[in-house]
Amino acid sequence: MNSALLTIQNVEKHFNKYHAVDGISLEIAENEFFALLGPSGSGKTTLLRMLAGFETPTVGNILLDGKDISHIPPNHRPINLMFQSYALFPHMSVAQNIAYGLEMEKLPKTEIKSRVDEMMEMVQLPHLAGRKPEQLSGGQRQRVALARSLVKRPRLLLLDEPLGALDKKLRGEMQLELKRIQNQFGITFVVVTHDQEEALVMADRVAILKDGKLLQHGTPLEIYEYPQTRFAADFIGVMNFFPARMPDGTPTTADGAAFKASIPDAIRDGDEVLAAVRPERLHLGATAQDNSLTGTVRAIAYHGLDLSRCISTRRSLPSR
Amino acid sequence: MGNRAPLPLTLTILVVVFAFLYLPISVLFGLSFNEGGMPTAWSGFSVKWYFLLFQDQDIIHAALNTLVVAVVSTILAAILGTLLAIGVEIRRRKGRLLETMIFAPMIIPDIVLAIALLSFFSLLDVTMGLHTIIVSHVVFNLAFVCSVVRARLKSFDWSIVEASTDLGAPILVTLRRIVIPVLMPAVVAGSLLAFTLSVDEFIIAFFTAGAGRASTTLPMQIFSMIRFGVTPEINALSTIVMIVSVVILAISQRINRGGLPGQ
Repeated sequence: MNSALLTIQNVEKHFNKYHAVDGISLEIAENEFFALLGPSGSGKTTLLRMLAGFETPTVGNILLDGKDISHIPPNHRPINLMFQSYALFPHMSVAQNIAYGLEMEKLPKTEIKSRVDEMMEMVQLPHLAGRKPEQLSGGQRQRVALARSLVKRPRLLLLDEPLGALDKKLRGEMQLELKRIQNQFGITFVVVTHDQEEALVMADRVAILKDGKLLQHGTPLEIYEYPQTRFAADFIGVMNFFPARMPDGTPTTADGAAFKASIPDAIRDGDEVLAAVRPERLHLGATAQDNSLTGTVRAIAYHGLDLSRCISTRRSLPSR
Repeated sequence: MGNRAPLPLTLTILVVVFAFLYLPISVLFGLSFNEGGMPTAWSGFSVKWYFLLFQDQDIIHAALNTLVVAVVSTILAAILGTLLAIGVEIRRRKGRLLETMIFAPMIIPDIVLAIALLSFFSLLDVTMGLHTIIVSHVVFNLAFVCSVVRARLKSFDWSIVEASTDLGAPILVTLRRIVIPVLMPAVVAGSLLAFTLSVDEFIIAFFTAGAGRASTTLPMQIFSMIRFGVTPEINALSTIVMIVSVVILAISQRINRGGLPGQ
């Protein structure tokens, strides 16, 4: 990994007694597509707003290229934010919206024009240059918002729930589009989302936040395959949980079914544990083999691509 | 089981109500074109009263005074009222008292406000004239501009202010290039409303104009003329004032409803 572009050092943000962000440290590398994933109230948006400069950390520092930027106002940071509501200027055309940030840099008119044109080309909007935001569809507004922040060529682009307002099909397309654009520009992206699928699809690395704390971070594969907490296991994808005990180094359910599994070092014999199994790793069969449970199929749901079955084992939670 | 009144009855009520509202005004309107000038008999159509009106130096003088008062007080009220509305909106969570206090001049009876201003100016020993009328009109115009702008601010998307800052704009540039242009329809609508109120305001102007005829406004002029009976010129003058007010009010409503694209 390259050296860190952005370093978040033990950052806390207090609103009166409430700790919205409670001691987070992270390093984000140059050219990375990084996702801050968490449910609402996890502090992910507050963290993003501190990166943008709209909030100041109560404790801790934020370094960009090794320099402390914690107290630099938003208009002096080489960081841009794409707002969840897009926040397009309603009285300006698409081209004027995109040009605004460059005008603030007092660039020559000809350079502004060529960069705006180039950017509109990039997000496939040149035919809409003269339109006002209200005349655009949701997807088009999103592209304008993206173009408006990208045209400034920031060191870091922050995206607050970038796909939240789009319908499902468009969201799938835009996930890939955002990755393409990030690749093409070579700009570091930090995206905030509550949608675990979105985070897995787009990001190079994902950080899971809960109650202002960082639970775990890693590549999508690490996050999905090796969740370190029950919350992370439950929040990412679909997971079956089987309460079990550890009588002799093997997790065993109340029914007596034993799992052969990799056991973390911290777990001792006699502990109460939770065996977590992804549904795609489960197989249905008539005869019992290793790692098997007996149960009854209660319901079947057809999704087209796959099929979920609700099975009740004798003393465990329902599984899919 | 028709729970609606039969059509002829509804229509009759409508006609009666509107007649009640508009008959006096249309009588005034009609009489201003009455050749003979007698309110009792119609003697043919004529615009001669309008011509006479424009030859009356007192009326022209009063009209100019009114225009100066209305324009200056509206401009001052537009600037102060807009800034006030923005300030109150930002501090809204800090209590409602401030909000109530702003709208007091709209609710306090004109006569009370007039006396208060008169005592205030006397206390300060200010020589009264057009300038005191202007200041007094700013007091209530400000409240009207502020209330129209506040209504628009309720639906204002504050994230565009942050977006502007994020894109590198200092706060004053954001105010000039983002906040004010987006609020402009409301500012203009509020100002036009304030202008019409100022044009036909009588009580406050009457109390704060000071002695002499130098700072007589149009409503004061009409009042002094009417003491010698309603003349056809007054009908003509009132008609003009009314038409100006209605037109400006209509423009104001249209601007505020239509607004700029994206509102």
